[in-house]
Amino acid sequence: MGNAIHAAGLDVGYPGPHHPTTVLSGLDLDVEAGTFLSILGPSGCGKSTLLRVIADLIEPLAGEIRVLGETPRSVRSRRDVGFVFQDSTLLPWRTVRDNLRLPLQIGRGSLTRPIEDKTEELLALMSLSALADRFPHQLSGGQRQRAAIARALLGEPRLLLMDEPFGALDEITRDRLNDELLNLWRRTRTTILFVTHSIAEAVYLGERVIVLAANPGRVVADRDLQSVKQPGNRCSREDPVIVATMAGMRAALEAAS
Amino acid sequence: MIAHGGLSPTAQAVLPILGVGSLLVAWQFLLPAAGVPAYIVPTPSAIFAVFAKSGPLLLGNFWPTAIEAIAGFTIGNFSAILLAIVFVHSRILQAAYFPVVLFFNTIPVLALSPIIILIFGLGMTPKIVIAAVICFFPTLINMIRGLDSATANEHELFRVLSSNRSELFWRLRLPRALPMLFSSLRIASATAVIGAIVGEWIGSDKGLGALIIQATFNYQSDRLYAAIVLSSLLSIGLFLVVVTVERKLIRY
Ligand SMILES: Nc1ncnc2c1ncn2[C@@H]1O[C@H](COP(=O)(O)OP(=O)(O)OP(=O)(O)O)[C@@H](O)[C@H]1O
Ligand SMILES: [Mg+2]
Repeated sequence: MGNAIHAAGLDVGYPGPHHPTTVLSGLDLDVEAGTFLSILGPSGCGKSTLLRVIADLIEPLAGEIRVLGETPRSVRSRRDVGFVFQDSTLLPWRTVRDNLRLPLQIGRGSLTRPIEDKTEELLALMSLSALADRFPHQLSGGQRQRAAIARALLGEPRLLLMDEPFGALDEITRDRLNDELLNLWRRTRTTILFVTHSIAEAVYLGERVIVLAANPGRVVADRDLQSVKQPGNRCSREDPVIVATMAGMRAALEAAS
Repeated sequence: MIAHGGLSPTAQAVLPILGVGSLLVAWQFLLPAAGVPAYIVPTPSAIFAVFAKSGPLLLGNFWPTAIEAIAGFTIGNFSAILLAIVFVHSRILQAAYFPVVLFFNTIPVLALSPIIILIFGLGMTPKIVIAAVICFFPTLINMIRGLDSATANEHELFRVLSSNRSELFWRLRLPRALPMLFSSLRIASATAVIGAIVGEWIGSDKGLGALIIQATFNYQSDRLYAAIVLSSLLSIGLFLVVVTVERKLIRY
């Protein structure tokens, strides 16, 4: 399989008349298509920035970046990228169902392939059918995140970028959503880049975990977990090997912070 | 929402009526007993009698004011909304002309009114213009702020979905702006009536404003109060229309 992401010597920053900042500097990263990649890193190191440059929400200052073999711009304008924001970003004036349908209503001109109206299917998949006519403010945080994920999936992205999607949830709900997400990934094998602050979540979900460090923002640790997991990226949170892996990732994260 | 401390729905409906009723009764009987003369504050029953006696006169003066206020409300708010849309789509035009708009807003409408009447004469037009001017500025400000109030994440969501400009406007900026627009329209429902009446004070022989002036000079205080009641009913009517439309459009 080809590479979903190829970045080499990537510099990304924010221009500003007073203090322009370079966040990512000389970042190298290759991600094979179909991978579930977890991204860890101290706060402010540039994890969101990395996702945003891949999604063509900001432009790199220097270096090379290819997404699905093309420029981020052409991939984004073909609507091949799904983005799940940290704060769900549901539109408050739309019901859950209408929020899901947003990808069917806008940007249709740029689609090269028709997307199916899988609204009801995705509502059922994310256990939201009973809540479909509610407005976002009538949902719990976990329900909102499920709706945001369903909306991202409705566009049938070939690459799914998730920025701390479960950051605000209690552990029980988070664990359950982790399993739902893994099941979904096993069925579709969409490439997923998943940013999290939780080492346990990163190890449980990812086939591969990378750690970013700040100043300069680049990959400082990179672990392939396929050897410590069962086929299909399955593992038990209590498995001693997994627990040891988590400890190893913690050490890497501490070194990066 | 304000908590009503466990009052039953019936109590919530009946208590305001009792409150108003008790004040009216006090006004009817206590003020005269306290020696307040009728030419300063006529009793509610005297005001009500004016409606029965001079109904056609009151209505004949009500409609011009209503038409001026409604036309001014519509024109003023509509042009404010349009200008706000132009401004948020062209930062250049906004930078060039917003300061001019700001400057005009610092001129008190009362000072502007004689000029408007000089320009437009004595018909309904100058009153409509004054009502429109008075509605215009708050709606412009609120609409600009509303159209710009979508969050960075919401804009990024629309960009990820490759929306075009018109989709961005109709599906993000406009719905985002509606709550702020309507909070300004609610206020405009009262100020439009004020604008029309002020216009009539300065130069008119028709309308509630003219009636108020005439009644004052002729010491017909019951007629004066009846005209005031009608003006306030006009504002309430406009307000209710705004709120009804708002409920239809903003359902969340
Ligand atoms: N719009 C912006 N303009 C200027 N600087 C920014 C902007 N957004 C982020 N930054 C800076 O870029 C750096 C990286 O930000 P980023 O949001 O990518 O961090 P992060 O790793 O996602 O952090 P967190 O874990 O807290 O979400 C931070 O130092 C931040 O201050
Ligand atoms: Mg972040």
